[in-house]
Amino acid sequence: MDEKKAAILGEIPRLRRYARSLLRDRDSADDLVQDCLERALVRLDNWQTGESPRRWLFTIMHHLFIDQMRKVNRRGEAAMLPLETSEAQAAPAEQVESIASREIVDALQAISPDRRAALVMVAIEGFSYAEAANILGVPAGTLMSRIARGRDELRALLDDTARRRSIRIVEK
Amino acid sequence: MSRRDFSERDIHMALDGELPGDERTAYEAWLEANAEMKAKSARYAADREALRTAFNGVLDEPVPVRLSKVVLGEAPVVRVSPSRSRWWLAAAAAAILAIGGAGGYLAGIGRLGLENTAEDQLAEEAIAAHVIYAAETRHAVEVPASDKDHLQSWLSNQVGLKLVAPDLAAQGFQLVGGRLLPAGQGKAAMLLYEDVKGERISLFVTAESAAKAKGTYGEDDGPEAVYWLDKGYGCAVVGSLPREQLAAVAKSAYGQLLAGLQS
Repeated sequence: MDEKKAAILGEIPRLRRYARSLLRDRDSADDLVQDCLERALVRLDNWQTGESPRRWLFTIMHHLFIDQMRKVNRRGEAAMLPLETSEAQAAPAEQVESIASREIVDALQAISPDRRAALVMVAIEGFSYAEAANILGVPAGTLMSRIARGRDELRALLDDTARRRSIRIVEK
Repeated sequence: MSRRDFSERDIHMALDGELPGDERTAYEAWLEANAEMKAKSARYAADREALRTAFNGVLDEPVPVRLSKVVLGEAPVVRVSPSRSRWWLAAAAAAILAIGGAGGYLAGIGRLGLENTAEDQLAEEAIAAHVIYAAETRHAVEVPASDKDHLQSWLSNQVGLKLVAPDLAAQGFQLVGGRLLPAGQGKAAMLLYEDVKGERISLFVTAESAAKAKGTYGEDDGPEAVYWLDKGYGCAVVGSLPREQLAAVAKSAYGQLLAGLQS
């Protein structure tokens, strides 16, 4: 096996984690990773020697994600979603999640894709601001404001969930 | 050791390991003295831990065979567009469910008053104005450059600043004209420039600002804004030029605007 392919294989777990945080559903996330890997292999020649495979692959995957999210917004495809898909979404398969994990994963899905990507890139994937800005293709100032607003929004959603839960308990 | 005012922005930077080492001690002292900021920092740190915990398990999952097969070339690579897999539908569905299912998630955000910072707002307004008017051929401006004196005095009166349209000929741009726009609670002046190839940039100036900031703002494939805010005025230069070129034009424009304001 050549070195490039070995390096790509080694990044799959990280790509899957990033995709899962963007999309939540396991199969959908792996579909995104598969799209990313296929595109990467077709463009193997574009990969400069010395360039980090992680950065290269994350950039490809991020573009796939954002392009598709834009198209969805433009065409309003979500509105025509078949029911069974949305039901499948509502009950994620065989995942054992703690309530806290579940709540934060739900909240993460509710913030805008741009902010979600920026926050995840730095907070979970551990990229520096400079690396993340480069991968996402935005100026550092934009990245920072997305991270700040993303965190703010996430916390607001969690506070709101906690408030609801306490109301429910009181009502019992 | 550097002494400076810290803000919420620094909480994020500290959390993400982006705060310069020599500012760390001063930052910690500031945090200790600000109970509200300290609590905020603790909540953000806890949320980050929760996020990591929620997703770290993915790293330990075995890699699905269908993915390793793609790389090892055991499956023919025929598809380069994501047309077959429909993961983005799931993404959209997840977003809608998260919003609808939790009922009022978004209303919650509105209530809690998540607001743009002054600089984001200025940059977004300037970009929106540029996107709309720079694309116009016949109605791009209200007052043309041929009536420059009137343009300057009219906009100055409306906005409440002494406005001098910068000369950007050295950067290859000629004034097309200007218009008056709403901005925040007040008004903004927009000045439109064009080069020989028809590439357009715009200057967006408002008297509404108390914050002091400068930076660059833009979405991936839209125009970018280079902005400056200071007490009493905010200015953004917007265009789709290469970043260095836009920065150079913006610098020249800002220098001249500032000289004009203070003349």
